[in-house]
Amino acid sequence: MAEQHTHAHAHHHSDKHTHISRGTYYRVFAALMVLMVLTVAAWWVEKNLIEMPGWLAVTIAMSIAIAKTVLIVLYFMHVKISSRMTQIYAAGAFVWLMILFVITMGDYIARGWPPQAGPLP
Amino acid sequence: MATITHEEAHTHTHGPELQHQFETPEQQKEAATLGMWAFLVTEIMLFGGIFMAYIAYRWAFPEAWEEAAAMLNTPLATVNTVVLLVSSLTVALAVNAAEEGKKRRLITMLVLTIVLGLTFLVIKGYEYSEKFAHCAGAKDPISWITGSDLHESHECLVPGRGFHFPDEHGSASGGHGAAKTVTMQSGHQLFFLLYFSATGLHAIHMIIGLGVMTTILVMALRDRFSPTYFTPVEIGGLYWHLIDIIWVFLFPLFYLV
Repeated sequence: MAEQHTHAHAHHHSDKHTHISRGTYYRVFAALMVLMVLTVAAWWVEKNLIEMPGWLAVTIAMSIAIAKTVLIVLYFMHVKISSRMTQIYAAGAFVWLMILFVITMGDYIARGWPPQAGPLP
Repeated sequence: MATITHEEAHTHTHGPELQHQFETPEQQKEAATLGMWAFLVTEIMLFGGIFMAYIAYRWAFPEAWEEAAAMLNTPLATVNTVVLLVSSLTVALAVNAAEEGKKRRLITMLVLTIVLGLTFLVIKGYEYSEKFAHCAGAKDPISWITGSDLHESHECLVPGRGFHFPDEHGSASGGHGAAKTVTMQSGHQLFFLLYFSATGLHAIHMIIGLGVMTTILVMALRDRFSPTYFTPVEIGGLYWHLIDIIWVFLFPLFYLV
């Protein structure tokens, strides 16, 4: 009996958390569309109106892409309402990706390879 | 004895989908979701390798990158971005419909997703055929098929022996600084090598995703899902969203340089 009680409780508990309403999906989609227009607009402005340093244009484009990813992962992929373990796995992927990028580029830059010559002659 | 009572107490609350190694449907769903995420992490690392190469070479050849990216068809890619984002919404709505046990809405959303996925591949295929047509000397894919207007194009952007990136004066003259031209050509070629690898691998994932969605559609038509069991819809959806996320990065990195 005690065990059944626990299960009933667990069921109730998960019911409370495992639902994202359709309204939220539509709002997330609207936000994704706005971000998509923003990233194309920023690119157009950079190409046709304002001279921008390359790093700034990349930063803008990547910030928008990361914002879109966070929205998709949290709401469409339900990570916001997933278990702690799933959330750690999802976050882990991006941590490993950062390790790959930071250590590799740290090595390239520290060796002072001239970017204009490139790593390949 | 306590275990038996426990099992008996549960037999009527769930369908035959519950595998014997799991205590509850929630536990089974949790295991499936976690397993899918473990797979998605390996997928992210697979594409991560391509992104790593991209970062290193963009850092090495910034000017070549900017010139090469201008040769890609940004309007078509923008349309494709919208197509994929809409398909992510339809997948999210499909999962929602399965959760609520709305079979007709689930089927509609799955069919829409498949149509949008095919649209994406057709547009992508047209973009690819443009590049291959140029290599064959035709100015667009239609004249390539009909065999007219050959030798109209003086560029070939498909990496390989025939690769030729047009310089500012239209054709190959090679007057100023031969060494620099060679470096620039290899930078341009690297851009297109990464472009074809990344978007090609992405397209393969789209094809697999379409297979997954078709399977789920067949399962839905056979009444395999219920509000207590719709795990395939859920984890198939996770895969589709991952493909969308990859494109969210490919789009600005290749088309909006």
